Formats: sequence, C-alpha cells, structure tokens
Amino acid sequence: MEKAPERGGGERNGSVLSVRSVTKTWPGGAAALSSVSLEVRHREVLVVIGPSGSGKSTLLRCINGLEPVDSGEIVVNGIRLGREKKSRDLVRRQVGMVFQSYNLFPHKTALENINLAQRLVKGRTLAEATEKSLALLRKVGMEDKAGALPARLSGGQQQRVAIARALAMNPSLMLFDEATSALDPEMIGEVLDTMRAIAREGTTMVVVTHEMGFAREAGDRVVFMDAGQVVEEGAAKTFFDAPAMERTREFLSRIL
Amino acid sequence: MGNNTFKTAWPSALILAMAALWLFFSSLPGLGYHWQWYRLPRYFATFQDGAFIPGPLLRGLAATLEITSLSLIFCFAAGLLAALLSGSRSLLARALAALYVELVRNTPLLVQIFFIYFVIAPVLGISRFWSAVLALSLFEGAYASEIFRAGIASIRPCQWDASYSLGLSTFQTLRHVILPQAVRRVLPPLVSQAVSLVKDSALVSAIAVHDLTMQAQVIASDTFLVFETWFAVAGVYLALNLALSFLATLIERAARLEQ
Repeated sequence: MEKAPERGGGERNGSVLSVRSVTKTWPGGAAALSSVSLEVRHREVLVVIGPSGSGKSTLLRCINGLEPVDSGEIVVNGIRLGREKKSRDLVRRQVGMVFQSYNLFPHKTALENINLAQRLVKGRTLAEATEKSLALLRKVGMEDKAGALPARLSGGQQQRVAIARALAMNPSLMLFDEATSALDPEMIGEVLDTMRAIAREGTTMVVVTHEMGFAREAGDRVVFMDAGQVVEEGAAKTFFDAPAMERTREFLSRIL
Repeated sequence: MGNNTFKTAWPSALILAMAALWLFFSSLPGLGYHWQWYRLPRYFATFQDGAFIPGPLLRGLAATLEITSLSLIFCFAAGLLAALLSGSRSLLARALAALYVELVRNTPLLVQIFFIYFVIAPVLGISRFWSAVLALSLFEGAYASEIFRAGIASIRPCQWDASYSLGLSTFQTLRHVILPQAVRRVLPPLVSQAVSLVKDSALVSAIAVHDLTMQAQVIASDTFLVFETWFAVAGVYLALNLALSFLATLIERAARLEQ
C-alpha cells in the first residue's frame, strides 16, 4: 500500500495524542488499564491489537472521555483531558470515533446523521453542513444513500456513513474501535478500503482491530496489549515478522 | 405486526360487543325500568328557529375537552420533567422526582383534587377550572414520568456514546437523539395514559367544574332519566377515547421507524 510520502517524518512531527501512565480499575476491582503509555504523532496510524478483554476498547473510550481514568494523563493536541466538562468537550471536538456497532441514529437519514453534530456543535448552517456531508458521502461511496434511514442500509454501508459522520467534524484524531468486527465477511473489505483511503490522506488514526492484514499494510506502528498493559510496540513493517515478546508471539500464532 | 393483529381482531370484537348488547337488552324487561330515551336528545342540543343551541351535555363535553387537552399537555410536560430529574446525577433532583411520583401515585385522585382546590388554589389564587387542570396534570404526569423513564432507559447506551463522541452536550443528546427515539417507543402506553386522563377527568365534577359528568349528574337528578343519561354519557366518553386511540394509531404509523 502506497502512502503519502511526508507521513511519519515530514514537516510536522508534533504529538497529536499522548497517553501517560493511564490506569483504570473497574468498580469490581479488576484492572482495565495498568500504566498504559503511548504516543501518536501527526499523520501517524497506530494499530492496537490484542486479545479481547485486553483493554484496547477501554483505552479508546478513555481517550475521548467516554470513560474516566483513575490516574495518569491524556493529552490531545495540547489539551489535557480532565474530569471537568470543559476539557472533555474540547477534547471531543478534536477526536472522532467509529464504533463496532456503527451507532448511527436510527431515526435520522444518513445525511441527517452527518449533519446533526455539524449544526449543533460546529454551528454550521444547514446548507454548509449538507454540502460537507454530501462531499463526505461521495468520498465513502454512499452519495446515493443520503436519504436512506440506517435500517435500510447494510452493516458495511452503515459503518461507512458512521465514518463520514465522524470525519465531518474535522477531527485531528480518528479512533476506530473494532470497526469491522460486527460486519459480515463480505462487507469487511469495503470498510477497510474506506479506512485505508482516509489513512492515505494523512489522517491521524488509532485503530483497534483484529484485521492483521490491515494492521501490516496501513499501520505505521503496532501496539500489542494484553491484560490492560502495553506488552510490545514496534514499527508495523517489522512487528509481525519479529515480535520480541513471548506473549506477542503466542497471540500472533493463534490469530495469523 | 401489532397493527395487523389489531385489524384481524376487529370483526371478532364486533361480534362480542353485539353479544354483550343482546345480553344487556334481554335483561331489561326484568329490570322494570321505564325507558324514555326520547326525552334525552334535547339535553345534547336543541334547534330553535333553525338555530343550533348546544344543550348542557354538549357544553359539558366542551368543558371536558378543554380540561383534558390542557391537562394532556401539562401532564406530558410534568412527566418528562420528572423523568429527566429521576435520571439526573443530582441526589436532590432524584429525591424530588421520587417524592412526586410516589406521593401522587399512592393517594386517591379525588383527595388530590380536593387538596388542590381547597388548600393550594386559595394560596395561588387560581379558579376551580385551573385547579382541575393542575390536579389532573400532576396525577397523570406521575404515571407519564414512569413511561418516559422506561422509554429513555430502553435506548441503548451506545447512542449516548455516539452522540457524546461527536461533541453533543447531554441536553442536545436528549433533545435530538434519545427522546425522539424514546417517545416513538412509548407512544402506545402514552396513549393509554391519555385515555385514562379523559376518564379520570370525570372526577373534577367533585369540585363543581361543569364538565360532562357534572352535567350528567344535574340532568339525572332533575329528570330521573338516570340510566339514559349515564349510558349516553358513557357512550360519549367511549367515542372520545376511541377517536383518541384512532388518532394515536395514525401518529404511530407516521412516526414508525422502518426497522
């Protein structure tokens, strides 16, 4: 897969996301995240892999404040995510998220789904929002379904609309939480293609996925998590060929 | 699917209703009651010199319609507010909502009407008409709040997640994402509540509001047309509520999600 030449080492190398020693414990006492640290730079695609229950999704939910953390620090584009509403709102304006279950609003058409937050949060007029939404629908190959309610769309189509909905807010960071895990096999490709296209444009992304092919070809770096910890981290090109840790090798042997 | 069952159930329901009517009329001779239905129409309306003059029953119906439609609006407002308070993070708000719902649901409506008319109304300086509207709104609102609460709780948490992740506030999420879905889901129980409201409104006659029931009481005691009057009035309530249910079916159909 060909990538934009300036990515990963171009004119802007600033950190978009920085997670430092984040720890979270579930109310029952089980550890969700223990001292997780990672860094994502501008235009970088970070892929997070690991067995289910390893804390990947929790980590994503913490990054845009859907889950509070117990300790540690999360900084997005220089904004430190705190417990107060103000910082959470500011961070959420920077971060777009795509969910495993698409989570489109079922009472709104594809176009209305994409328009809603643009109008309420960005304060765009209906005309401005619609123009932007239609452009994004075209980009994800869904322009002919603008007026369809989500129930009329296939899973793959719903997920592409959900991606367009998140992109409409011009986020500086996109989070993908197992975006293809709920899809029928024949629809996984169309969503992964959309994600690849976005990555090629230089969108900064954190992708939690079980699609190792995607991780290898579209990812810049890979993080392997297990039991709430970052076990290993490396460049996507070399990570799969020569994993350093035993736990990583074990996981990869099971999944590849 | 529910709508189809409803349609196919219609003929059987009609037959059952006719059987009940036959049973009713066949028992009448044994009652020894002298029926004088012909005396009743003038209490609905009269014509004088070609002019239509509404009688006490029609005026009572107008009052009932006025009271119930106002109460319907206020009861849904009260119910929604109580539902939102009970879902709030603030302990005080939740306690307030619980106090309201439990107090209202566990005492008789008649007592509440008396309490509002004799105790609250003089303080607020409101008329018996508005006392009636207030009492009915608060009473039905307590039930409506439970319906709204169930509706809001039935929306999957991931709808909140999606909305929050796009940067919407809690209020915006409720207003644009959660409530539109929740209200569609609880439309049938809300209609039941509206039907209850229409019937419960009969109790406001206790504070001499001249609604349909009050007028019926006056006519029955003036003319001794006891059965005729009350059956006719029951028929009017029945027609009113069937019309309401029919209207609700139309709304429900228009608002149904293609799922």
